[in-house]
Amino acid sequence: MDFISNQVVELSRFQFALTALYHFMFVPLTLGLTFMLAAMETVYVVTGRRIYRDMAQFWGKLFGINFAIGVATGLTMEFEFGTNWSMYSHFFGDMFGTPLAIEGLMAFFMESTFVGLMFFGWDRLSKQAHLAITYLVALGSNLSALWILIANAGMNVPEGAHFDADTMRMQFDSFVSVVFSPESQSKFVHTSVAGYVAASMFVMGISAFYLLRGQHRELAVRSFRMAAIFGIISSVAVITLGDVLGRMDYERQPTKIAAIEGIWHTTKPPFEPWIIAALPDDEKQVNHFEIGIPYVLTPLITHSFNQPVLGMHELEDQAGPRIRSGIIALTALRHYGETHDKADLDLFNAHQDDMGFGFLATRHAPNQDVTTIPAEQLDTVVKQTQPDILPNVFVVFWSFRFMVFLGTYFFALFAIASLLSLKNRLEANRWLLKAAMWSIPLPILATEFGWITAEAGRQPWTVFNKLPTFLSASNHSTGYMIFSLAGFALLYSVFIAAELYLMFRFARLGPDEHGAHATPEHLFSAIQGGNA
Amino acid sequence: MKLLRLAGLALALVIALLFAVFVGDQGPWYFAWVVGTVMIVLISGAGTILLDAQEENISQKENTP
Amino acid sequence: MATYAILKLIWTGLLGVLFIGLGTMVGMDMGVGTLLRFVGRTDGERRTALNIIGPHWDGNQVWFILGGGAIFAAFPTLYGTSFSVFYVVMILLLFSMILRPVAFEYRSKADSRHWRASWDITFLISGFLPMFVYGAAFGNILEGVGYHFLWTGQYVQDESFLSYLINPFAILCGLLSVALSVQQGGAMLMLRSENPIYSRARAYGSTAGFVAAALFVIGGVWIAYMPGFSLTWLLDSAMPANPLRGQTVAIHQGAWLDNYHAHPILWLLPVLGTSCMLAEALMLRAGRPAIGWWLGVGAWVGTIGTVGAAMFPFLMPSITKPDQSLTVWNATGSLYGLTCMLVVTAIFVPIILSYTSWCYYVMRGRVRVQDIVNDPHSY
Repeated sequence: MDFISNQVVELSRFQFALTALYHFMFVPLTLGLTFMLAAMETVYVVTGRRIYRDMAQFWGKLFGINFAIGVATGLTMEFEFGTNWSMYSHFFGDMFGTPLAIEGLMAFFMESTFVGLMFFGWDRLSKQAHLAITYLVALGSNLSALWILIANAGMNVPEGAHFDADTMRMQFDSFVSVVFSPESQSKFVHTSVAGYVAASMFVMGISAFYLLRGQHRELAVRSFRMAAIFGIISSVAVITLGDVLGRMDYERQPTKIAAIEGIWHTTKPPFEPWIIAALPDDEKQVNHFEIGIPYVLTPLITHSFNQPVLGMHELEDQAGPRIRSGIIALTALRHYGETHDKADLDLFNAHQDDMGFGFLATRHAPNQDVTTIPAEQLDTVVKQTQPDILPNVFVVFWSFRFMVFLGTYFFALFAIASLLSLKNRLEANRWLLKAAMWSIPLPILATEFGWITAEAGRQPWTVFNKLPTFLSASNHSTGYMIFSLAGFALLYSVFIAAELYLMFRFARLGPDEHGAHATPEHLFSAIQGGNA
Repeated sequence: MKLLRLAGLALALVIALLFAVFVGDQGPWYFAWVVGTVMIVLISGAGTILLDAQEENISQKENTP
Repeated sequence: MATYAILKLIWTGLLGVLFIGLGTMVGMDMGVGTLLRFVGRTDGERRTALNIIGPHWDGNQVWFILGGGAIFAAFPTLYGTSFSVFYVVMILLLFSMILRPVAFEYRSKADSRHWRASWDITFLISGFLPMFVYGAAFGNILEGVGYHFLWTGQYVQDESFLSYLINPFAILCGLLSVALSVQQGGAMLMLRSENPIYSRARAYGSTAGFVAAALFVIGGVWIAYMPGFSLTWLLDSAMPANPLRGQTVAIHQGAWLDNYHAHPILWLLPVLGTSCMLAEALMLRAGRPAIGWWLGVGAWVGTIGTVGAAMFPFLMPSITKPDQSLTVWNATGSLYGLTCMLVVTAIFVPIILSYTSWCYYVMRGRVRVQDIVNDPHSY
């Protein structure tokens, strides 16, 4: 069997991670800011006070700068499955492509069409109609996230599809179980609400900047108040859903949860400590030092006091028989493809749950062909494959911790900010304003760590327990990969430079610029709005 | 016209109710997201309106010592 | 005929509609991008041209995303294989496509002349290159692509990307697609602008129409004499979709005309294409851009229809292992997947069409230079 070089697989993974993480620097703001704009505009429509319209337009402008790159980098994602993960697309596309296509049809179209009206339609639509448009943009961008996370949940917990020997791929068989799987639900809510947190911090931080400089006070205190309340509720929701996801991983992705918590040996409840910091060593399979809080781990993960959490050594042991069974499955499958013999199909069906583990052994099989392993080498191949079922523990362990620590910090910051804002004592507490301003990038960082936890924790699979990552990649030469990587690196650096330049410029300029450049048409509608 | 509007409203309510029942049953977290988002938007909006009221209060106090 | 086979056909038809929509709507915006530096001499004029498509380019670009998503869902094997086979070209296309949204949003947000001039060049590249690649990909597919599959379904590429770039027929197809987009962009500019943009757009748009017609005819003759593919044996049109088995394929010269010989009515498609291109050029010259725009849609229907009729049932033939060519019968999703997608499409396409046309209605009217320069929200 032809085998893609490890280097190309690693470069493909690196490129996907780079483009996905980059894309997601812009997505959280879009998810949250749209609903915040809607909230501001709602207040404008209800109270009729012009300041809220100014708020919606000012933050809308910053949103626009962010939205453009979000769309542009999202394009890359839609095509990268095809350009770099051809085997994955063939194997899982029947199910995975559907939510992606629905995302285009249902959400992306809506968001992109109405975003034009949102920016250009202020003078052409009634107040109520424009508000409705803003809500549609907000709903559209979040529905977009919904379908993407449904697809992503399918990679982590493949439901609603089964492998078919005649088509050699996963066949889609249940729309409802894909859309309503607990994994899809909690992933979506967790991610969407994390976007609310990011947007709250963005608005709160820039408002704090104005308050610190004593500029645009009217707009800044209102935006600050709104963002602080938006943020405190959202950060509670993010933490709740994070807990739900952890419990889900415990049930469905034991290797991920073991790596997240750095558990090498199955736990003995209830004493087991929750490790705050450790130095996991993937080579020697131990933690070099550990600081933990006793009695926390078991109730945290299992929501009980007596359930054990499987350790990575035990998971490796359990994988042994599955690898053997998987090798039998693949051998039978290959024979079935050549002869169409019913006996081969029956043999395959008996072992098909373990097929993915057979694929995993490819890397260690002689000639990289699992279907022709000599009997005397089988034990060695299985033994060599066993450690492959684990993700990179160090990365998963620490990215999870950074995410959790940051999340806790946001909760505290928003709580204090809400309290002080409600008491109108912001200006007296300059340290809080400074903290809010410097915290602007942190929620985005936290979502990135969240993605690293979820997706690095899914390794070595692209379709969990079904298809290994190293088999999913396209068969490119290293030269191709260097070409595309260099291009992406160059383009994306230009983007981020342009975005930051404009963001800082417009944030510094502040909201007043609108009034100075208003056209007669603008002034006219402003007078009308005032009279109404 | 008024009747038509009422009928439209009733229809929207029925659809909302059916949606709530179905999604609440099949996807409790989706339902929580819908309700939660509306709640967040309304509460944060109310927060700023409260600010307007607070400021008015202060300026009234300053004007009438 | 079995339900599954019918579904495969429906989705092939929808794929065609998608290609036509992509050509018309995205092509129009790309055409405006290509023409930007030529129809607009001053900054105000260029901004006017941009704002003509300003409220809609984003919605139109979704055709592109939708295209990716729909091919992924309905033709997963085609999606994975074709995008990987054309890797370098696809990445170039992506680079130019992702530059566009950013160019729209950022160009007019800073006053510096160099800033704006560099984004204007970006518009030229990101208008020309994607349409060129779009056409060239069709050209390459018509000539056959070098790839085969392993028993697991993993594809293996057998050709270098250079053969896709330096290829006279593909270049001709690429230029045809660019010419069609310039024509459509010209029509759109005429519809919503005033002089001097109007008259320049008229000159470029109508010339592009004549060029397109000429390229289309040359391409047609070329196809008649190039080696084509024909299906010599098919297990069953409703067979499980798997490129590894179930068909044999032969290559012979002129095979792309087989369908036309079998069903002479198909000749109407190339006739429609050519006449629409010529008629649109004349209409633009006569100052009737609205009719011209709709004739442009006809030109795309004719072009995509001609290629589709020639190739059916092939989607992407393989030169190195013709039996593993991807066809309508072996590259689609499952019965369940196709049904599911069809239901979703039937629900959402009417909704999309209604709100998109409502948006056009709200933002109707001519765009004037002085409005654009004074409006803080414009591009």
